[in-house]
Amino acid sequence: MKVIACYSMKGGVGKTAAAVNIAYLAAKSGFKTLLIDLDPQGASSFYFRVKPSSKKWSERFFGAYEDVVKNIKASDFENLDIIPAHLNFRNFDSFLAGVKKRKSRLKSILKGFGKEYDLIVLDCPPSISNLSEAIFVASNLILVPVIPTTLSERTFEQLSEFFDENDYKKSKIIPFFSMVQSQKNLHKMTMETMSGKYAFLNSVIPYSADVENMGEHKAPIDVFAKLKPANFAYIKLWTELAGIIKNDKSS
Amino acid sequence: MADDLKMNSLSEITWQINSSLVHDFPSIFSSNFDVGVSDVVPSVLTFLDDFDSHLWKAGYLFYKTSDQEFKLIDPTGKLREIKASNGARFWWDFSGEKKVLQKLIGLRAVIPVISVKLTEQEYLLRNEDQKIVVKACLTKAIVEKTTVHYLTLSALRGYKKYYNRAEKSLDSVVEEEINHFGLKTILMNHAAKNFETDTNFEIPIDADMPAEDSVRIASLGLLNSAKLHVSGAVKDIDTEFLHQYRVNFRKLRSLISLLKKSLPQATVAMLKEKLSMIVGKTNRLRDLDVFLLDEENYRALLPENFSSGLTELYSLIKAQRKEEQKKVVHYFSSKSYASEISACAEELSLSSTYEMKAATQPILQVAKKLLINRYHKMLAMSATTNSQSADDDVHALRIEFKKFRYLIEFFIDLLPQKDTAKLVGEVKKIQTVLGNFNDYATQISFLQNYINDDRIEMSKSLSGLIAVLHQKQVEEKCKVTNVLANFFTEKMTDKIDVIFGSTRQGDSV
Repeated sequence: MKVIACYSMKGGVGKTAAAVNIAYLAAKSGFKTLLIDLDPQGASSFYFRVKPSSKKWSERFFGAYEDVVKNIKASDFENLDIIPAHLNFRNFDSFLAGVKKRKSRLKSILKGFGKEYDLIVLDCPPSISNLSEAIFVASNLILVPVIPTTLSERTFEQLSEFFDENDYKKSKIIPFFSMVQSQKNLHKMTMETMSGKYAFLNSVIPYSADVENMGEHKAPIDVFAKLKPANFAYIKLWTELAGIIKNDKSS
Repeated sequence: MADDLKMNSLSEITWQINSSLVHDFPSIFSSNFDVGVSDVVPSVLTFLDDFDSHLWKAGYLFYKTSDQEFKLIDPTGKLREIKASNGARFWWDFSGEKKVLQKLIGLRAVIPVISVKLTEQEYLLRNEDQKIVVKACLTKAIVEKTTVHYLTLSALRGYKKYYNRAEKSLDSVVEEEINHFGLKTILMNHAAKNFETDTNFEIPIDADMPAEDSVRIASLGLLNSAKLHVSGAVKDIDTEFLHQYRVNFRKLRSLISLLKKSLPQATVAMLKEKLSMIVGKTNRLRDLDVFLLDEENYRALLPENFSSGLTELYSLIKAQRKEEQKKVVHYFSSKSYASEISACAEELSLSSTYEMKAATQPILQVAKKLLINRYHKMLAMSATTNSQSADDDVHALRIEFKKFRYLIEFFIDLLPQKDTAKLVGEVKKIQTVLGNFNDYATQISFLQNYINDDRIEMSKSLSGLIAVLHQKQVEEKCKVTNVLANFFTEKMTDKIDVIFGSTRQGDSV
């Protein structure tokens, strides 16, 4: 089982869209996949029309396995289950601050799913926090969408420095360009500069109204815009990622 | 903390549905759900098995889909990868996990057993958020002239309450709940008889039955069993049909010969002559089959530069086999065959006359006495048999062992189970060595007939083969002394006296 986190310190960079489409495409290609929506806004749960249970259970997320399992919901698609976000998940950070071994808590929880799933996709909230650090430890790959702008470049550098300072494996970080508008000079130049400095994926997700329309359709893009460039871009992204997963030896 | 989290399995129930209520679907769910209906998916599955239903008996399902794809499902329900072009019949015609087929069907061909027409329609039940919360599938199966409907309701993780609601709405239409629904259920319920084969020879006799009655019943059983294989042999489905036909005849002839003192002399004489004549018509075809089936082994015996000669030989034998098959088909379809086989059946069906002294004696007593006598005859013969013995002497001993085993097998249900089974195992070991020795002799004599001065390449290969086979025959003969010494021990003689010395039936010796 492999864990991929869709993560960025910055909001609105295409994290959820990546998590939803990658989870969907992985399941479609036969991976038994669990998407965990860790962002209390619950956008990825919304895209799959999955609602959380009314009970507040976030404090039990890191302790009682039965509670985690009870909250798994089937998506409308073969091989894909979801743990929807609960507004209560906003308390994860303060909860983790008060417990021992907080950095490895999430990893321990996810390990339990090894027999059920081939892949876990985490849709992460935009922050650097106790939860983020637990995510860095738990994940095999940290997929980071980067909009090619100066601000995003700075944020990515901050993440990179954070990994250096805290001795996290930087090789886990897999950046890719997101919401790219190729007609913009700034995007082109930033992509050129950053590609020279970091190992970006070849796949690039274009800025696209079809991605925005996922909210209206409440479905992954492949379901309603199969032949559109944005869908092909996600397919390419997943294919590239699947190759990395295949060769990834980390546990 | 637990390392492995086991998730609860999801509810799934299948019911048989009264066909007259099928029109209620899917509207029966409409009051609780928005129902999406998929297109109907029709398919025709042709289930395949060999004549003996080996796959079915081992829990496998093997079928061909309407798209001409082959599917093999193992007893655990797992789909095994197997592929072949249309018209594949033998295990070697398939690719993928064909070893399962090799193990189960051997030299048998797979033939269509039954076709099932299936149509499936999926219902997607959605909640107020348009999220699919329950799935249902209506399956219509047409098996021969029977049409059955099944409805499967599947829960989705996290949506149990919707599943319960859907299940409740079915209360008035569902009938019997089906456990572990699948293709196997449909076949078990509606086509099990198509997989039934009753070719195993069983003698419905008891220990005290007069010997003549028993022999007549057992012989008729064997004759009928042989007849079951004629149709397959005529259609040339696989070589096992003719082989099994001949095995039944061999057993039948052995039985009559072994128990000749229980039947009227005239009956024995008539049956011996007719049975020998009938089965004799198939000897040549079987010899050719045996050689053709062993092609790979023969090719492995000779160096590569002999292969063109072997290819020539094989094409000649294949052509001869074709001709011989025609002759056998002609014979099996002839009036003369029908009349000869009826004459044998009629003779065996006559009421017992009890002319002979042994005819009225209880069969078990007669059989046991015979077994002891034959054992001692074999023991005496073995004393003078070794690696220097004439081939004919080894051959004679082989025949004795064969008869001895047949005799045990005819009456196995009346004999002490455990000891007899062990003894049969021991006998089989010797038969393997003696059988190999005989096979080499038969093959050499078969091949010698093909040496032809006008076909130099072929004759060179034949000479090579004969030399190798002769060497193997000599090696096999060297094993004979050892296996005989291991079998004929004082302990064995005592055991035979104990097993077959009692006049009582079964294990109560």
